[in-house]
Amino acid sequence: MPELIKVRPTKIELVKLKRRLALAQRVQKIVKDRLSILTMEFLQTARDTVEAKGKLIDELSKLYKALSIAAGYHGYIALEKELIATEADLKVTAGLRNVAGVRIPSFEVTDGAKPMKRYNLVDTSSWLDEAAQLSAECLKAIVELAELQRNFELLAMEINRTKRITNALEYVVIPGLQTTINYLNMKFEERDREEKARLKRVKVLVARE
Amino acid sequence: MPKPSHDEALPMQSGQSGQPRYEKMLQECLRGELRIVNAGLPQSQKRLSNLLTEEYPYVVCNDGSTHFFKKSELAYLASMLDSDEQKALLLPMLIEIGANQAEAAIPMLSEPEGKVEEKIISKTLNMPVICEKGRIRIYKPQLALLRRRFKTTTVYVFSPKIVA
Repeated sequence: MPELIKVRPTKIELVKLKRRLALAQRVQKIVKDRLSILTMEFLQTARDTVEAKGKLIDELSKLYKALSIAAGYHGYIALEKELIATEADLKVTAGLRNVAGVRIPSFEVTDGAKPMKRYNLVDTSSWLDEAAQLSAECLKAIVELAELQRNFELLAMEINRTKRITNALEYVVIPGLQTTINYLNMKFEERDREEKARLKRVKVLVARE
Repeated sequence: MPKPSHDEALPMQSGQSGQPRYEKMLQECLRGELRIVNAGLPQSQKRLSNLLTEEYPYVVCNDGSTHFFKKSELAYLASMLDSDEQKALLLPMLIEIGANQAEAAIPMLSEPEGKVEEKIISKTLNMPVICEKGRIRIYKPQLALLRRRFKTTTVYVFSPKIVA
């Protein structure tokens, strides 16, 4: 049973309550729309995350395979010596975008992830080149997964918050307002009836005199 | 009308005149929700041709934050359009969510007559689209497809009045 809101039973309060009810219903509509959009985005992000994770695992397994072949070909010590001075350029542009009121990060690898460089091309084999190429692709996949994972978390948090608001509006605020409005209406009707009965009684008394 | 006697009045929860404190807080919270949903709308849209030349393409939103565009998405859009269409297309494209929960509408803001948006959406969805009163109407499953392709180049607008 929804609780009555504690107000004085006056017409002004009734008007105020009606306005508040209209606002609450308008907000409920918008919040519900927002919730459905957030859920849609969340499910899409979940699908994309699973896809990106699978892709990353595939690429990492390919990379480890290529690296172990390269290590087997050159030997660990020689490979380590070659890789000691190498570097991989990675330029990531980070920004924010807005999805239905949620600010979520957006990462993009710019200039393409360049493969590792500065190792000696004469002393190394194509196995190492392949491993370098694959590592660049792995970096790209990691950045993509990082973005999706964070979006996933933020959207989930916002869905929880929005659900709480929707439930509060649906089960507490709006029923409470409606019950109070009904209560006030009944009170005013009762007052009118009392007034009519009083007038009738006065009329009878006046007629007797 | 008789003035209500004191015993008729329901007990007040706080000393506020006529409105308990938590009620005011609730009102603020509800108004805040309305502000939040449309805070991410851009103050102004930019043309695709301009965005392609920017190093960090973005637009400023109503709340002062920035909305960042992915270059890969812009490049994909550019690959679909010729140079005149690139000049006509305004980004981010708006997606209106309104009273009818099954549908969404995309206002055709580009010149002439929003043909560019129509071209992009029909190409992305791989189907002809319905245009009504300067708006392209799409259903929720199509919206998901569209958003999957254009994550940063589309934004949502919430209004109970827009979509009849």
